[in-house]
Amino acid sequence: MIVVENKSVEDILQMIAPYKKVLIAGCYGCVTVCLAGGEKEVGLLASQIRMARQKEGNPIEVLEQTVERQCDKEYLDKFQDNVREVEAVVSLACGIGIQYLAEIYGSVPVLPGVNTQFLGTNRDVGQWEEFCMACGECVLDKTGGICPIARCSKSLLNGPCGGSQDGKCEISKDVDCAWALIYDRLSALGQLDKMTEYIPAKNWHREKGPRKLVKEELTLERD
Amino acid sequence: MSKNTNIRLGVYLCDCEGKLDQSIDLNKVKAVIQSRADFEYIRIANLLCGTLEKEKIVQEIDKYSLNRLLIAGCTDPFIKRQFTVLAEENGINRYEVEFVNLLIPGKENTEGAVSIINEVLLQMQTRGAVVYEEIDVLPEVLVIGCGTEGAAAALAVSENQPVTVVDNDTFRDGISLIEGKKNITVKTGVKVVGLEGFPGNFLVRFLDNGKHAKQSFGAIIIALEAQPSFDPIKYNGVELGERILSLSQFVKNDRDYAGQKVTFILGQADQDSLLSYATALSNAIALQEKGADVSILYDDMKVSADELEQDYELARARGVNFLKYNGDLQILTTDVAATVRYWEPFLPQIEQIRLISDYLVLAEDYVPHPDTADLAVVLDVRTGPGGFFQEDNVHFLPVMSNREGIYFVGSCHGPIHGIELDKEVETAKAEVGRFASGNIRVPALQPQVTAEQCAVCLTCYRCCPHHAIEIVHDESLNNMYNSAARMNPLACRRCGTCAAECPGKAIQLPFYSDEEILQKVSKPPKLVAYACENSGTLAAEFAKSLQPELQENLQIVSVPCSGKIDALFLLKALEQGADGVLLLVCHKENCKYVWGNERADKRKEQVQRRLAEIGLEGDRVDIVHLAANQGNQFNASVRSMVDKINQLGSNPGKVIK
Ligand code: SF4
Ligand code: SF4
Ligand code: SF4
Ligand code: SF4
Repeated sequence: MIVVENKSVEDILQMIAPYKKVLIAGCYGCVTVCLAGGEKEVGLLASQIRMARQKEGNPIEVLEQTVERQCDKEYLDKFQDNVREVEAVVSLACGIGIQYLAEIYGSVPVLPGVNTQFLGTNRDVGQWEEFCMACGECVLDKTGGICPIARCSKSLLNGPCGGSQDGKCEISKDVDCAWALIYDRLSALGQLDKMTEYIPAKNWHREKGPRKLVKEELTLERD
Repeated sequence: MSKNTNIRLGVYLCDCEGKLDQSIDLNKVKAVIQSRADFEYIRIANLLCGTLEKEKIVQEIDKYSLNRLLIAGCTDPFIKRQFTVLAEENGINRYEVEFVNLLIPGKENTEGAVSIINEVLLQMQTRGAVVYEEIDVLPEVLVIGCGTEGAAAALAVSENQPVTVVDNDTFRDGISLIEGKKNITVKTGVKVVGLEGFPGNFLVRFLDNGKHAKQSFGAIIIALEAQPSFDPIKYNGVELGERILSLSQFVKNDRDYAGQKVTFILGQADQDSLLSYATALSNAIALQEKGADVSILYDDMKVSADELEQDYELARARGVNFLKYNGDLQILTTDVAATVRYWEPFLPQIEQIRLISDYLVLAEDYVPHPDTADLAVVLDVRTGPGGFFQEDNVHFLPVMSNREGIYFVGSCHGPIHGIELDKEVETAKAEVGRFASGNIRVPALQPQVTAEQCAVCLTCYRCCPHHAIEIVHDESLNNMYNSAARMNPLACRRCGTCAAECPGKAIQLPFYSDEEILQKVSKPPKLVAYACENSGTLAAEFAKSLQPELQENLQIVSVPCSGKIDALFLLKALEQGADGVLLLVCHKENCKYVWGNERADKRKEQVQRRLAEIGLEGDRVDIVHLAANQGNQFNASVRSMVDKINQLGSNPGKVIK
């Protein structure tokens, strides 16, 4: 899941300072799951904004709407009536949703209500952890199912480094050393020999620019 | 809920023994209502709370097939509860009973009464009825633990329904008591390793002598017995031996103590339970009767349970010596005797007293059965003080767990003695007895989920204190997962915690929907108080009788549990015009629904943060932990909140003035 964190209301208030009528746009996808951009958060933020502006003597009208996913056009279309009404939109979807919303409704400023953080798991209510950085060339087969790129502070492909201490990373006592985790997992799997296998450096050079994925056999010719 | 087309309403007007006579003409009220409203039966009573009246109402419910009641008169919480119980006993759900307070100051006149009664009548006639669900359940009961306590539970339950008793151990005291008995199956070498499903239909996974197995049960009784554990440190390092025995060693051996001096020492270990006291007393009586010379050395004789006091009296009458000590004691043994030196608290002396006995019997501590922690995780039931099952919360006594259909009996939830055990067995038998007929009829009052708004995020599932939620997959569920959370009507206790935490606002608790609650604060007075019905609401009613004027500028919004108080409710009350919001919740560790009050604490913090973010005073929101009978505390909290609001001035963020 994509994990996001709410922007401070102060920042959002600043972004919408020039406007008298805005839409808060929620998403029922990842941001609902990570408790930051679903219908509930839309309601809470809207209430905060109304009160803040009222207090300044500069009231604002705030509309609220949440759709299934902001990363798909068909769902974004559902915003059209409300978007037409407002001077700006604050989206609580991840960076993907915000951008796509902005692209579809090019004539209205679309502002971010969250800071998109990482791809991660939800261990328990209110706890998220980064697990993957979408490198495009997965090495989990070699590392006991633990990602060295996302979970090692230095993204070392052949670890650990000298900073590994009692299973913790040298940057903080609260950060597990990914390579210590990998060692433990490989040893539980009886695959410790993989520790000595050299993993070649990745080609981080993005020769093709921003990534696109096209599956020719699935695409339809449309005009 | 579905729209009810068959409402059979009974209306009762009570004149409170003539108290209402001067201000309200009930005959007139009756006439007006009769001319307009649609109901089955209407009657004026002189004193509805009287005993004879109740019988009469029961007959009327039956005679006119009433399925809804409106009771107008006083709204004393105690009387309200009596009527809801009466209604439920006669097949009318508590949510189908409405009360109208005719004693509202300013509205104590005939027109006022007619108008409020009409308002409530309209609500009752337009809203949907409570739908009942018939659920097939399994009568089979699983008892985990085959000591004497598990055996006692199994024997009692087997009178009405089939019981399977499992134990990881092969040698347990209870086995011989129940083996071969009708309706009882005993399996040893069996460990419980998994649980799925809900009350009435639990699927239990076992490791049966090393092999995986599974079986379904309607209900589960946990009876893993506590184990005695002798800790020499409690007795200044003394070791057990020939002349010094622990209480459990003593109970097991069958030596003849006639003519011997035996002394029991209580109070150094097992300080929090009555088990050692009960065991020592019964054994002392038996020993004394067999010709031993018995003393009981105690620091504080605990006999606060049925029949223990009698045992104490009997022991004294038989000649057992009761000797009180103070503080530390020393134990010395030789080959021929065991000596205790102790301080006598009432004799002013400097010397310690030396008590010489042939045998010393030392009370020991009780620790949870070693499987307790693992089983708690497997069954998702909570443990409490000392690592025993069941939390330290009076609402769960005697046998309840945080899950419906799973019960605790005996020392698995702390050392208890025989008489308490009998009561627990009876209670557990009654609880699991609900499943005996194979079918349960329940009102479908559990929260409902709108699939379109459910992101299957698991928040509700993880926040439910009662393990009442499952994620179901069904093509008819209209979201991208074809899945949604679903609350089980037999497992759900209707706290509303899930609804308050759902990030998609997908969950609504019948009779407490967001819409209904927010409607109540759409034009709030200065102060809004969200009150838990188990504490705040009752305290408020009580407080009203002490200082009614305090509630003039206060709106109380009742919720079934403080876990239902959504952060959004707090912000909305302020946005819509309140100057301050109070949360009235139960005391710590006293939430009927496990952790609702802790969640309420967190939400208060969250809302204070959100207010600070927009430059509003966090002090406009406060939480008060109180009990149902603390009317004075309620008034004090309201007064201090009103003072605070007056100091802060009008809420500058209110959008609706
Ligand atoms: S817009 Fe972002 S948050 Fe919403 S579903 Fe798509 S990826 Fe997830
Ligand atoms: S190696 Fe790590 S970052 Fe790359 S795809 Fe696999 S999990 Fe994601
Ligand atoms: S908390 Fe709400 S969105 Fe999440 S699973 Fe439960 S019902 Fe669905
Ligand atoms: S109302 Fe309470 S008990 Fe019922 S499902 Fe929700 S959280 Fe669980």
